[in-house]
Amino acid sequence: MLDEDAFATHVDRLTQPESNHAGLVDLLREDHAFYAQRSAAAVVRMRGWVLLAFARIGLTEHALPFVLEELDSGVDPYLVAAAARALRSYPERSERFIPFVGRAIANISGRDEPVSFEQYGAYPTGPTGASPLSELNAVLTWIGAASEPANPDTSDDCCWPLPAGVRSVVAWPRRREPAAIDDVAFEDQDGQHLTFTEFFQGQPSLVLFFYTRCDNPLKCSLSVTKLARVQRLLEARGLGAAVRTAAVTYDPAFDLPHRLRAFVERRGVRLDGNHRVLRSPAGMPRLRLHFRLRVNFIESLVNRHRIEAYVLDAHGRVAYSFERLRWSEQAAVDRIVDVLNEPKAQERSAAKHDRWRVAGTAASVAVAFLPKCPMCWAAYLSAVGIVGVDRLPFLPWVRPFLVALVATNLWSTWSRAATTRRLAPAWLTTAGAMALGLSMAGASSAAVWAIVLTIAGSVLSVRSRQARESTITTAARSAV
Amino acid sequence: MAKQRKSRKSSRQTSSKAMSTGTTRERVAAIKSAAVTTGNAAVLDSLMKVLRDRDAAMDVRLAALQSLGAAAFASPDFASKRGDYIATLRSVADDPDAELRQRVLGILAREKDGFAQKKLMEGLQHPDKALVLPQKALQLLGYDIHADAYPIAREIVRNPPNPDAKREALRLLAADPASAPTFETLLRDKRETPEIRQISAAALHAIKPESLQAHAREMLLDSTDSDDMHQTSLTALTEFGNPAVSSDQPLMNRVRQLRTQSSPQVQTSAQRFLQRYSK
Repeated sequence: MLDEDAFATHVDRLTQPESNHAGLVDLLREDHAFYAQRSAAAVVRMRGWVLLAFARIGLTEHALPFVLEELDSGVDPYLVAAAARALRSYPERSERFIPFVGRAIANISGRDEPVSFEQYGAYPTGPTGASPLSELNAVLTWIGAASEPANPDTSDDCCWPLPAGVRSVVAWPRRREPAAIDDVAFEDQDGQHLTFTEFFQGQPSLVLFFYTRCDNPLKCSLSVTKLARVQRLLEARGLGAAVRTAAVTYDPAFDLPHRLRAFVERRGVRLDGNHRVLRSPAGMPRLRLHFRLRVNFIESLVNRHRIEAYVLDAHGRVAYSFERLRWSEQAAVDRIVDVLNEPKAQERSAAKHDRWRVAGTAASVAVAFLPKCPMCWAAYLSAVGIVGVDRLPFLPWVRPFLVALVATNLWSTWSRAATTRRLAPAWLTTAGAMALGLSMAGASSAAVWAIVLTIAGSVLSVRSRQARESTITTAARSAV
Repeated sequence: MAKQRKSRKSSRQTSSKAMSTGTTRERVAAIKSAAVTTGNAAVLDSLMKVLRDRDAAMDVRLAALQSLGAAAFASPDFASKRGDYIATLRSVADDPDAELRQRVLGILAREKDGFAQKKLMEGLQHPDKALVLPQKALQLLGYDIHADAYPIAREIVRNPPNPDAKREALRLLAADPASAPTFETLLRDKRETPEIRQISAAALHAIKPESLQAHAREMLLDSTDSDDMHQTSLTALTEFGNPAVSSDQPLMNRVRQLRTQSSPQVQTSAQRFLQRYSK
């Protein structure tokens, strides 16, 4: 593990003109390997030094969201001060920063203390002239704001227009199938066990990540409280039964069911079959990858994470994510409604997939029935009373063409298996293709097996996908 | 109004002067009587100056520290002086006086101060740099679960410098799910002290409650185990047990036996157990 002094040297190197400043932005990602197995205080020192590096070279558009995040929900004096200093190096002085500064002042005013930017890891033992409040006031001066803004928390809507180029609500246009996490096992607040598919497919859902030992009240505690409000807003619109909600813990080893229940109930979250709080002791690594979670750990304990919430469609695919900044409950409900109104487009897409599957199945069967040797050809042709067809000039091109179709069918079946996690049809089709190969090599008795296995595998594969799509489509239709 | 302001200013100046001069007793009295609750930044500055003064008598400095602690709760001016207060505490964290170091690091640790955590960890890893005893360092690090103290605590459990350090290391690990096997072993080790075994029981209840229930059952059925552990087991099962316990005949019979053939404390606990689980 890189020691902290070496990390600081690495950061300083990245500020050199010839260096790759994109590497600096990368160091602000919570899940960066450098932050693994570090104490929270160490992560603060490290991240603060990266923010100060931006203050020296100029804050970039890509790093701006991290700075705004620190002002929006940060409670560590050093990080807030470093973020404020970094913000003053941004090329544009925007009044849209003012609400963030106001919020940071409210967040930090009970924790103001001197900070030192001179040396990595320095903790002042006397006045330094720099503190989070002084840095935040300097930002207001830099913007040209006349006075300290009113506490933005008095507003019902927590969120304001963001500066140009900054997004906290992200649409996922190419929705990844959740095949990689379909069978991730969860345990809910009542100790009931269920998989990702069983809870998150069939209806749109809102899912957020948190943990009960989070020591920043503006992150996990507030997010779960917002979840409760989203539930009430959905209920008020008559959508309470049409949408599922879930809070998933980052810390499944410690967050046992009774702890999860107590935490969310104290924040007003409703719990029932459609609304659960979940832990997944074995599934966290896969969930991290699939949702691109920005979180890091000391062993199993979180040392740093961002605010992250997701709207999933009825297939369990991420449609929207709310990242880093405090999200608006109304915005979350609006995105959920958008997803609820999507079913027709999904059905058309599913029908198109079905047509390809049928074509592939037909091609496989055709190859299985095709004679593989001159004697077989003669047998077929004599059976239908046609003589001389085997001398048709195009005939040599048919076999490779149909073999290509078999290969296409195999690919189609296996990709369907990856989606449905039902491998038996794919194995049957593969066995059919192998039997086909044997029959083409001379084992004519294998041709019958090729036909049987290919048909069985292809039909089962189409049926299993059709059944699943039908369930999803029906549920989505009834929800509108 | 102006007269009142002038009077208060004069009073503060007198108070500050009294803190800095005179005998130790006079200074301590001046510090204790300083009006820290009436919104007084100058008095807070004076107290911090006294605290930093390594030439002052320790009683005077400790009195200043205590008054500052009271002001943290009660003085409206304290928020504006908090930064100076934290910096002052850090500046005396390595003071030659052990009691002052311990109290100062305690205050900082409760603030989850990174400076204090770094010093405490350094002291555990390199005893020649320790500012407080290892058991105190572990206790203070336990205020912040994110301090990454689990590895050092596990090492201390394996090789404790003294029994108190082992005890505090176990208390710190009570929030570490990965330490459940350690606690299971200690809970069942009859050579361990009752205190260690009870800390283990409490830890298992927090991190692996089903394990505590299973071990509690086995310890009750073990007639060679101590009264302390029988009582602990009965409490665990009575307060947090599964209703299925009432169908566990060997256990129920054993508890009925304990109700009449054990120490008074165990008999009382057994009675409560039976009240809950007898059909």
